[in-house]
Amino acid sequence: MATHYALPATLTAEKLIGTLSEKVEIDQFPKQYFLKTFYDSFDWRLYQQGLSCEFNRSKQISSLQLTDRKNGELVASTILFDVPSFSKQFNPGKVRQTLEAILEMRALLAVCTLECEAYHLNILNEDGKIVLRLLIEEFELLKSRLTLIPVKGYDKAAERIAEMLAELGLTAVDKPVLLEALKLQGRHPRDYSSKLDIRLAPEMHADVASKTIFSTLLRTIKVNEQGTIADIDSEFLHDFRVAVRRTRVGLSQIKNVLPEDVIARHKEFFSWLGQITSETRDLDVYLLNFEQYKKKLPAVIRQSINPLHNFLTVKKQKSHKQLAKKLNSSKYLTMLAEWEEYLASTPPKNPTEADAQLTVKELADHRIWKVYKQVIKEGGSIGRHSPPEALHKLRKTCKKLRYLMEFFQNLYPERRIDKLIKRLKSLQDVLGDYQDYATQQERLEQFSEEMQAINTPSKTFMAMGVLIQDFETRKGKARDCFTSQFAAFKKTENHTDFHALFASKKP
Amino acid sequence: MKVLALYSIKGGVGKTSSAVNLAFNSAQSGYRTLVWDLDPQGASSYYFRIKPKIKGGSKDLMAGKRDLDELIKGTDFDNLDLIPADFSFRNLDLLLDDKKKPTRQLKKRLKPMADEYDFVFLDCPPNISLLSEAVFEAADLLLSPIIPTTLSLRTLTQLTGFIKDHDLAKLSLIPFFSMVDGRKKLHKDIMQQVLADYPAMLQTAIPYASDIERMGLERKPLAAYSGKSRSARAYHELWQEILARITL
Repeated sequence: MATHYALPATLTAEKLIGTLSEKVEIDQFPKQYFLKTFYDSFDWRLYQQGLSCEFNRSKQISSLQLTDRKNGELVASTILFDVPSFSKQFNPGKVRQTLEAILEMRALLAVCTLECEAYHLNILNEDGKIVLRLLIEEFELLKSRLTLIPVKGYDKAAERIAEMLAELGLTAVDKPVLLEALKLQGRHPRDYSSKLDIRLAPEMHADVASKTIFSTLLRTIKVNEQGTIADIDSEFLHDFRVAVRRTRVGLSQIKNVLPEDVIARHKEFFSWLGQITSETRDLDVYLLNFEQYKKKLPAVIRQSINPLHNFLTVKKQKSHKQLAKKLNSSKYLTMLAEWEEYLASTPPKNPTEADAQLTVKELADHRIWKVYKQVIKEGGSIGRHSPPEALHKLRKTCKKLRYLMEFFQNLYPERRIDKLIKRLKSLQDVLGDYQDYATQQERLEQFSEEMQAINTPSKTFMAMGVLIQDFETRKGKARDCFTSQFAAFKKTENHTDFHALFASKKP
Repeated sequence: MKVLALYSIKGGVGKTSSAVNLAFNSAQSGYRTLVWDLDPQGASSYYFRIKPKIKGGSKDLMAGKRDLDELIKGTDFDNLDLIPADFSFRNLDLLLDDKKKPTRQLKKRLKPMADEYDFVFLDCPPNISLLSEAVFEAADLLLSPIIPTTLSLRTLTQLTGFIKDHDLAKLSLIPFFSMVDGRKKLHKDIMQQVLADYPAMLQTAIPYASDIERMGLERKPLAAYSGKSRSARAYHELWQEILARITL
């Protein structure tokens, strides 16, 4: 396990090396000037998994290292000239393997960069074998650091040097450089997560609480806006859209709390935002799943589907360009600024809306219970011959219920509400699958029509036909699953739990 | 974790240099790699400047008194560790013979390493003995260097026969050409013939080269002192070919 030490202010790296070389055999490399850049995805996936990813660029050599954040051990490293955006663009090897599993579709982004002068030293034994490594880094704005990297099986050498370092006044530190560097920027890790975490107090007035919810969602929209415009990765648009959808559900479900005219005006705006982002997202989904679709095809026609990929890529570029234009339009900017200004304004002391002065807990109980009952009613009326629209409608109602539960999640005992959300999620998954297969099947039929006009090989249409058929089959399976999933959701036990948590008090 | 054994019935065919250089390539491509020097001569330990000695010798190891982990030494290269040889390894056969299931012993010792390493290279002594059988049980891949000569080929036939007779269907034998002298017509002729007869044979051949022989002086893997040489490139390509077989 690597140990980190801070050098006392009076001790320079060169002085330290001079003292050590009087006592042990040292193989020293020339001092290197580095730019040390830390990388992670926008939502800190590597950090969450306990990894630190740093790219050290120097004139001589540049390398990327993945280390265990806690014990400083090297997980994987590779020589690189530039850091690619996506894990699949790395050469095959351990780095790529590790990154692919964690980052998935997310891009690697530079988190912060430090200028650094580094001294690499190897401590050798009588056979000229390295028994210990030392790295001394001098930073512009941070204290100089020494990292002692033991070599497995040579513990005594490490112990001996550690004693010498203590005598020279070096102190062990456990905070990684990344954290100190972020602190300089006034940032901290995990400052973005796509998960909703809204802190509400049960006695809060409904109007104040609603504004808190909408403000949280607005922040998510705003932080994902530039990444969406630049198309850094598909998750920016995804998170942007989820926040828009949640806002829309909030506007329609939190009734009689905020002024009717404000609600109506922004309902229209957010509905427009949903519309203008939908095509690009659809195409993103296709491109993200493309390899999976390909695998579903028999080997003989697998490559024939490639023209569809080209078609989708071009279509996505066009669609994204349109979207970027709209997200830079004055309509978007004005409306969003207006919404932000409204949310920041102090709510009136005597609001005219009937439910504005309810406590948020009363409001949450009432809304969640009502929508839950609606889910039960709609689901209960779906039979074997009900049209697909009935399932689609139920899916939307479930989403409303889910979002409401998430908005108000922290007002309820954690374990109890988590359990109910989990059950709802299982139902949503099957409804979501059904809808996704139906949409993808339909869209694929449309694409096929559009591709008729651009000289597409007939084998491509054949492969697309196989996929359409596959969606049909999977849609059927999802539909079969629905009955049992809904029965599970409707069970007395679940009903009692919902009742106990949300139906106890009515406004 | 995949266990790759560098094995040949015959000595002096380039097992150790292949084990060292392939392991180095594996480590350089980011895989956590371990070399186990099973040859009492300790040549791969020597190449890494590591003393050919383990605490308690083979006796303690086989008696289960020491875990392999305690014996591991880090080499001078990232991701690359080694279990040194010990002179007492010359008696491994005797110690194995005293055990209940002698051929399972290596596999058993390696099992706890599964989370620590992606690849383990076994550098085996030449001969066919109880230790070899234990190697066959432990290994996923048997990489066998073949000098394109008639004698060397005979050992390949013997080995294929042995694997067949001992019901080692899970073990894949992958031979490759080693110490190839491009100037010799005989080498070329035999290679052509063997490539046709053994589809498992790897395409990349390791040349007979003085820079490989220099490993003994440099005491480092080839690519660490002569990274751009033809031989270093050959080991790199050989490793890529092996890797492709493994992921298949």
